[in-house]
Order: sequence, then C-alpha cells, then structure tokens
Amino acid sequence: MGYLSRAQKALKSSNFLYFSQTSSKFSWLSALLGSNPLYGSPNCRHFGLSQPFCSHSRQNSKENVIDLNQYPPELIRNFSIIAHVDHGKSTLADRLLELTGTIKKGHGQPQYLDKLQVERERGITVKAQTATMFHKHNFHGADKNDTHEQPSFLLNLIDTPGHVDFSYEVSRSLAACQGALLVVDAAQGVQAQTVANFYLAFESNLTIIPVINKIDQPTADPDRVKAQLKLMFDLDPKDALLTSAKTGQGLEQVLPSVIERIPPPPGNSSSPLRMLLLDSYYDEYKGVICHVAVVDGVLRKGDKISSAATGQTYEILDVGIMHPELTSTGILLTGQVGYVVSGMRSTKEARVGDTLHHNRSVVEPLPGFKPAKHMVFSGLYPADGSDFEALNHAIERLTCNDASVSVAKESSTALGLGFRCGFLGLLHMDVFHQRLEQEHGAHVISTIPTVPYIYEYSDGSKVQVQNPAALPSNPKKRVTACWEPTVLATIIIPSEYVGPVITLCSERRGQQLEYSFIDSQRVFMKYRLPLREIVVDFYNELKSMTSGYASFDYEDSEYQQSDMVKLDILLNGQPVDAMATIVHNLKAQRVGRELVEKLKKFIDRQMFEITIQAAIGSKIIARETISAMRKNVLAKCYGGDVTRKKKLLEKQKEGKKRMKRVGSVDIPQEAFHELLKVS
Amino acid sequence: MRVAKLNILPWAKLNGCHDDVLLYPRPTSRSDNIRPFIRSPNYILHYQSINKMLKSTFAPIFSAFPAKHRTRQPSSTAVFRVFAHTPESVQQNASANSHTSILPPYLFHPTSAYVHLPFCRKRCHYCDFPIVALGSSSTQIDDDPRIVNYMQLLSREINATRPGTTTNPPLETVFFGGGTPSLVPPSLVSSILETLRLKFGLCLDAEISMEMDPGTFDAKKMKELMDLGVNRVSLGVQAFQEELLKACGRAHGLKEVYEAIETVKSCGVENWSMDLISSLPHQTPEMWEESLRLTIEQQPQHVSVYDLQVEQGTKFGVLYTPGEFPLPSETQSADFYKMASRTLSDAGYNHYEISSYCKSGFECKHNFTYWKNEPFYAFGLGSASYVGGLRFTRPKKMREYMGYVENLENGSVGCNENIHIDGKDMAMDVVMLSLRTARGLDLRSFAEAYGDSLVHSLCESYRPYVESGHVVCLNEQRRALAADEFNSVLFKEDKDQAKMAYIWLSDPDGFLLSNEMISLAFRVISP
Repeated sequence: MGYLSRAQKALKSSNFLYFSQTSSKFSWLSALLGSNPLYGSPNCRHFGLSQPFCSHSRQNSKENVIDLNQYPPELIRNFSIIAHVDHGKSTLADRLLELTGTIKKGHGQPQYLDKLQVERERGITVKAQTATMFHKHNFHGADKNDTHEQPSFLLNLIDTPGHVDFSYEVSRSLAACQGALLVVDAAQGVQAQTVANFYLAFESNLTIIPVINKIDQPTADPDRVKAQLKLMFDLDPKDALLTSAKTGQGLEQVLPSVIERIPPPPGNSSSPLRMLLLDSYYDEYKGVICHVAVVDGVLRKGDKISSAATGQTYEILDVGIMHPELTSTGILLTGQVGYVVSGMRSTKEARVGDTLHHNRSVVEPLPGFKPAKHMVFSGLYPADGSDFEALNHAIERLTCNDASVSVAKESSTALGLGFRCGFLGLLHMDVFHQRLEQEHGAHVISTIPTVPYIYEYSDGSKVQVQNPAALPSNPKKRVTACWEPTVLATIIIPSEYVGPVITLCSERRGQQLEYSFIDSQRVFMKYRLPLREIVVDFYNELKSMTSGYASFDYEDSEYQQSDMVKLDILLNGQPVDAMATIVHNLKAQRVGRELVEKLKKFIDRQMFEITIQAAIGSKIIARETISAMRKNVLAKCYGGDVTRKKKLLEKQKEGKKRMKRVGSVDIPQEAFHELLKVS
Repeated sequence: MRVAKLNILPWAKLNGCHDDVLLYPRPTSRSDNIRPFIRSPNYILHYQSINKMLKSTFAPIFSAFPAKHRTRQPSSTAVFRVFAHTPESVQQNASANSHTSILPPYLFHPTSAYVHLPFCRKRCHYCDFPIVALGSSSTQIDDDPRIVNYMQLLSREINATRPGTTTNPPLETVFFGGGTPSLVPPSLVSSILETLRLKFGLCLDAEISMEMDPGTFDAKKMKELMDLGVNRVSLGVQAFQEELLKACGRAHGLKEVYEAIETVKSCGVENWSMDLISSLPHQTPEMWEESLRLTIEQQPQHVSVYDLQVEQGTKFGVLYTPGEFPLPSETQSADFYKMASRTLSDAGYNHYEISSYCKSGFECKHNFTYWKNEPFYAFGLGSASYVGGLRFTRPKKMREYMGYVENLENGSVGCNENIHIDGKDMAMDVVMLSLRTARGLDLRSFAEAYGDSLVHSLCESYRPYVESGHVVCLNEQRRALAADEFNSVLFKEDKDQAKMAYIWLSDPDGFLLSNEMISLAFRVISP
C-alpha cells in the first residue's frame, strides 16, 4: 500500500496519468520505473512490461526490438578513438553516443564513458569502456533514390586510455578493433601520445582515420596539423576529417567514414565459438562481468563455456551489449562486442586476453596480449597503523577492477604492515592511490617509488630488487654489476625550449637518440632515459620549464648497466627502511643532501635531539641535526577555561597519533610525502 | 621553622593544595556550621596519612623547636570538615573506611566562583579574551550604561543559576577576572558580591581576588574594594619597561605601574600578586632580568609569570610568528622561563604551578580549585564553569550572552540533566591539571579511579622522560626515585608498588615541555 500511495504521488508529478486508466495494474510499477533512474530500462523486460508502458523511454522502444541476428559481421564496425590527453577524445565519444541516440543529448554526465571519479577529475581515461551504437547509413554506391530502408549498422566504440601507462589497456582494446579514429587537436597538433598511440594502432594493423578536432578554436590550424600527419605518419591529408566535438561541426562525417573506411570484423560465424576476454570488473549485484569480443561463432545465454587459460567451465547466465548500460540480448554473434555474466567468483579468474570457447569444443586459442609489465614499485602503508585490514580490503577490492597492479605483503619497521605494489607507470600509481582514497576511503603513506633493478654478485647470482630496503646495505658478497631499466622517451616541444629540456634530460642521465623538427616550430626528440630518473618529478619539471607546452611519452626499453648504490636514511643512527632509495653513485651525494634537508624541514623538534643522516653503506654522506625542543608549555592565564586548554593539548595528541615512530623519533606523514618529491 | 624546613623537601609542594588544612585555622563561622558536606573518604585518608607522615617525619624537628613552629592545630580543620555532620546531610553513611560513597571531586558542590568583568580601556595586542573596550575617551566610568547594564545582567545570571542542593556550602573563593575588573565602580562590585552572598553564602574568610590594572584605581577605590571584602589583588604589571608596555598595547605606562604598587601596598593589601609576561616582542634577557629584579624588590606575596601566546585574531597574531624576530627565539624564551624560575626561587618563592610563584601560604586558592579538578561556578561573558561534572563556556558575544541569561531565567537552559561523564575525559582532565602543579599527579588515587593498568602504561610511556629528568616519580615520602629504581618498580622486579606515589614534572625542564608530556599522557588514556 505504501508503494501504491507513493506511486500515485509519482504519477501526479509525471505525465503518466493516462496509464492508470488504461492499465491500473501496471501503472504504479511503470511510474516507479520511469521515475527512478536506478531501474534502467533493460530491467523493464524482466518485469514483463510490454512496450507501451515504457514508451516514454527512448531506449525501451528500441531495446525490445534489438535482435542481434540482424547484424551479420558486414554490418558491424569495431573502432576506438585514440588521442593525446585533452585532444577531445571523450567529448567526441559523447557526441557520437548522442548522435546515434545511445545517450540523450544533454542527459547523463559529460565524458559519459569516463566513469571513475579520478577520470572525471583529471580528464583522463583510465579504464577502457565500450558502448554499442546503432546507425543507419547508406553504404556509398547505393542508389540515393532507393526507397528501401537504409541498413542499420552496429558500431562498437571502444574508448581507451590515452596515457602510456595504460597502453596495456590500449593494446587490449585495439585487439578487438579493426579501425581507430586518431584525434588530434587542431591547434596543438601532433603530441607525444599521438605518436605512441598511432604506433600502437598501426602495429595492430588498424585502419586509421585522422580526425582533426577543435577546429572552432581561434588558434586552430588544420593545415599545419595535416602536414604534420603526413610528415610523421604518412597519413593522406585528404583523409583527415575536420570536426569540432564542441560545436558539432563536421561530426556528421565521422560515422559514415567509420562505416565506409573501416573493414568489418573478420571471423567466421560458422566456426566454433572463440571469444577474446577484453576486460572484467566486479559488480556488487551481478558478480564478475566480462567484456568480450566474439571472434568466431555464436554465444547464447545458457551456453557452457571454458577458459583456454584455466580450463574452468562456466555457464552463461546473461549476455548482452553495452548500450551504453548493460543491455541483455541473450545472444552475441561473430564480430560483436558485449558482456557476459558467467558466475565467476572473482576477477582473478577472468584473465584478460584469455580465449573463451564452448566447453567440449577444441579451438586454437587467440593470440593474447603481452602481460602487464610492472615498471614502478612502491610500498603502500596504512596512514594509521591500525588500518591495515581496511587497506587490505580496499586494495583487494580495487585490484578486482584493476588486475594490472601486482600486490605483495611486506612490512617495514617504520610503517608496520603494508604492501609492495607494482604499477605500469607513474600515472598508474597515482591513479591507484587516488582511487584507493576516493573509492575506498583508504589513507595511505607510500614510499619512494622505485624501479626494478638487477644486481649481480661475485658468486654469479642475480637478484631483482623491487624494494631498496631488501638490498643489504653492507652485503657479504661483492656486487659485481647492476642493471637498471630504461625507457625510450618521446618529447615534443616548441623549439624555443630546446635548451633547458636538453639540460634536464642530461641531468637525468639521458642519452639523445633523435632530434628533428616536425614543422617550423616544433621539435621532436627521442631519448633513452633511465626509468628511475623519470619516476620522480620529471614530467612536472618538463611541463613547468616549457610552460606546459611539452608533451612527453615513453615506452619500455632494455636494461642498462649502471653504478647504482643504496642510499640509507638514518634517524639517530637507526636506518629507516621505508626511506631507503637506490640512486646513481654520482648523484648520491646530492640526493642524500636533499633528502636530509627535506626531513629536517618536516620533522618537528622533539624532546631529544635528532640526527638525520644519509649513508651509503657505512659512509655518511650528509648530516643534519634537529635540536631538542626547548619549550612547549601553556603558561597563560586561561582562568578556568579548561576546555580550551584541553583542546590545544588534544590537537597536539592527534598530531602525534598521525606520526610514524622510528626508535624515539616521531615522523610526520608529510615527511614521507615530501621525500617522494626528491629526484 | 617548619615551613622553612618544608621548602627544601619535595613534598613542600604539598602545602600548595593542603595549606587550608595544614596552615590555616578555620574560624568557627556560620559557614562551618552549615557545612553538611562530606568530602571523599580518600581525602580523609589522605589528610590523616599526611598528618601521620608529618608527625613521624618531623618528630625530631618538632621536639627540637617545640615552641616556634607555626603550625596551628594542623589537623583540626580537616577533622572538623569531615565529621561535622548536620541533620540535613544526605551522606550519613559516609565514613572514613567506606568506599561506597566516594565522591569524585567533580561532584563536590562548588565553593568557588569566577566572575568575568570584561571592560577594558582598550584591547591589548596579545589579548583574545572576551572583553568590551570602552575607549579612553569615556571618563564617566561610574555610570557608563554598558557597565551598569552588564552588571545587572550578571546579577540576573547569578540569581537564575540553580545551586546544586539546598545544602549548598558557602563560597570560599571569588575571583573577579577580566577584562579589567578594577575599572568597574566598587558600588557595582558590591552588588555582585551581595548577590553571590545571598545566593550561595560567602565564607567570612573567603579569598576574594580581583585583577587590577595600573592606572585604573586609586587609594580610595582600593579601600572601598577592600571594605567590600576584596582581599587579594592580582596586579597586571606585565613589564617594567616603558617600550614593552607600549609595544603590547597596554593602556598604562611605567609611572602608573609604580603608583599602583604603592597604592596596593599603602592600603595594606596583604596578599597581592604581580603579573608579568615573558617573551614579549623586543624583550631582551636584560629587560626580563630587570623585570624580575624589580618585582622581587616590591615583595609581592605572589608572582604570576605568563609566557606570551601569540593567538590567532589578535594584533600580535597578525604581526608575529612565534620564535621569529621580534619575538624571542624558542631557546631564548625557554631561557626566560628558566630565569624566572631560578630568580624567583632564589628569592624565596615557591614555583607551585607552571606559571605561578608564591611565598609560602600565599597560593591562589581559587586557582587551585581548577588544578584539583574541583567544581566552580562562573558568571559573565565567555566565562567557563564546571558544575556537576559539566564544563560549560558561556557565549563570548554580548548579545548571545544576553540571550543565554534570558534562557536561563525562563528555564530553557541550565538544567544539568543526563550528563554523561566520560571516564577518559575525566582522567585526561586530572592529568592535565595536576601535572601543572608542583604537587603533581597522585598515582594512587588516580589508580583507584581509573585502574592500575592505566597508571602502569602511563609510567611506561614516561620512562624515557624519567631518565632524561623531565618527569620525576616520587615515593610516598615524596622522595624522588632514581631512573633505575623507577624501572625496577615498573617492571615488577621491585614489588613495592607503593614506591610510586606521585608523578610530577621537573622545574624548569619538565614544566617547559609540559604540553609534550601531557599530550603523551592523553595518548595513553585515549589512544
């Protein structure tokens, strides 16, 4: 009854009054559904509502007639959008979704596919997302006067992260595509990530459609960009589409070009089922949801499937497309991209890149993706030591949706129990931190990020070091060699900044490999840089010295031999494991001094004198002292205002509580954060 | 003689809080006759043990100087207080060996009242108290409507305040703080005292203190105030350097300082305090030394030495950063504190609380109420009271305070029902307040109230500071334990727990870092 009365209120406020006359039995339900965004239209079907009840919803009318059987591979196009950050990729995706009526114009949030808070805040895409759209189009050559209905095409847009850290996600998404829109800002032109993403797409044999975006800007210079595209990628200027996702200018050409230029997915609908597992995430209500691309054959609800990697068998409980929310279709055919719910208990079972097939059928597994390579490691510790379980839980939940992070428990004398996590890169690490804090409310202290070094000892043994603390300060065996990972960095800058950028790179032990002009004003440089040197603050410094005009990207390269030493930080003679770092011998002195000075600034005076030292082995290379606190007393006439006095002291207590204690020294959390900024 | 002897013993600090018991005879006045009130049996035991201790420790001394010692019937008052039941007493079952009726000090009936008189000529640059600046132009202080109206409001608040029970004991201390209470005409002060007397009763020998500023009173006013019963003056001198008085925005100069001292002395005020501030901007060690020397020359019975706190929202808060020029550095200001402690101790003053010094027997009884965590009333703008276990700060803005008094009168505020007294909060209060005093924290009564394990963990966390000398642990005889002695009791090698009886902060090093030590205790009590 309560439901009913509430529904009636809802009825009055909405325009569905006539329902109660035509079908009082269902009216309250449809009104509820209609007024509650939580009940996405897909669910209407489960309630057995027929179309008229939900006719207010654009989606319902369509969904109930989605019959994927109508879309053979010839009518399917799978494509993605790749771009340098901020070149308008997500806005373009929004427009295409609107254009096809997949989302309503002005409804929903902008950057529709960027679902994570961190993505919206930073304006970046971290997780690949997929959306299925339908678009009617007359294939060229068809008779314009043909009164026959235009064929409808099924288009899968696979949104990808732009940043190199997530190129793992990019390559995954590209594996399901046959073409890509390469979006370039009409004013900024080709940038470092444009280069990197172009090559990823190019190597995946994708058809590339250059889109010069933001042509409405006063500084737009599409011709210059066309010339850059020709020079750098050998793309025909005639092929470039000129658009403004903001004003809508030129957008009408985009989907026709996708349909006309990008080939339909290959694959054989009569072959046994093979599908590629693109991604997976955990949904509280449905369990593990896998994004899949059906390469060959057909998948139906109720089918039994097996994983080529694990041999596990699952039953397909639900299958459908992302339109743009999960929309059940009961079937997925060759060339289509969608989701499956299969009763997997954890995303760990869903190995991205795995081939899924019908059980009892034998298929050739599809080529998988190269596994994620962890380039940056850092310790993550609960800010408050007692929160270990909470952090553990948060990390577990987050890695459910981000399998690219490696996690191992470790413990530190200074910070207690925590985790050593491996990340794909710096941004990835940052994003992971932010997601931990935002989505899971965890407060963490992270240690100085480090890269995996390889040490070789006199007895010939080799050790990979992911945590500086694990490297003995005074090893019993002599170190004969040390290798560190390097990257190939692409830097594109306006030519006036060449001087300082070259200085920066050589300070960071970089080796210039290439130097060329991409047009009259922009310089393209390639460097080999030790990964360690760009882990901390390289990009920020580059950005600030070029007033934000530099673009930077990198890819992994081989290890190189270097003279790397372990730098210990000691407080009152006691090494603080969480502050140890590995640095190049020649820079040790400087880094040691910087670290010690930073600490002096951030550790408050305490009851006793504190000495801060930086040491290589037993050799002290830098030293500072913080003299003992002399006075901390409230000698003031507060009268009987005990409360006020107490508040002050409680504040002091809380301050102490947030500190980490090493020996007798209290270290504020900010000190750990500050150390991260010393390169 | 005994007193002199006491000074060199650590437990001489005791007389700070038990002076009323040990040194002052209690006149048989109305106040004693109506006192139905029984203090905690702890106290009884305590007093008895002190008396016992006194006797055993000093038997030889007493016998050596039988005629000269100043003690006048040391135990009579305590005994009288404890056993003087009156028929209305609801605590008949209380007796020295019954623990069923232990009353924690906060449930005593208040016998102290703080009265806030917020008027000043102008605001000093360091001041963030709730005050009303009258401006120097107004010469007609006596009938300034702002004062008259406020004093009426104050009376209304006092009258609207519900005393705990009908058997309320009379007030033993009244403290007029400010502001500049000495700006208020004595006739108006009189009406407040009269209101207090009618409402709560006022002991004949009650300590009635008033904060007075140089330049705001003459001998006539002083005499009038004394006639009303004001018997303790807290003189806000702050500094003996013209330039410093000016720099901190005081409304008086050096000339007024000397005049005021002369007035206080010539009027025969027998208990007055010189209030000083250290670590003022541009203050040099020489200036501070001079201020201390001149203070001692004037022979006040009491000296308060406040350390400048730069508060947000004050002129100093805008201009200065603690520890940076022109304020003295942290080290220098610590040296000022040490200098005061040494100089005043050498001149015969007891450093009985972090910022208070006195000649023997001249501790401020009112302030000791605070430090003993005992209840007290408070009246007036922004003042803080502690009644029935509840700390309450009145509104700091006049309009809101007015509303508060109105609500109090029509009964919509002020009933202390359902007060939840949190044990941890109480324990923190006890530690915070008692560690400010030279008497320190009584570990045994603390353990009785909050458990042995809390005392143990407190001692454990203080271990490094016992070693460094910031914290001193005393045995029952108030003899300091050496660090290794302390450790062996702590780790139960020495089973004699009684060895740990008190903890106090050393003077001056422990006092100087008292915030550290107290917040450390807070962490132990409420992690």
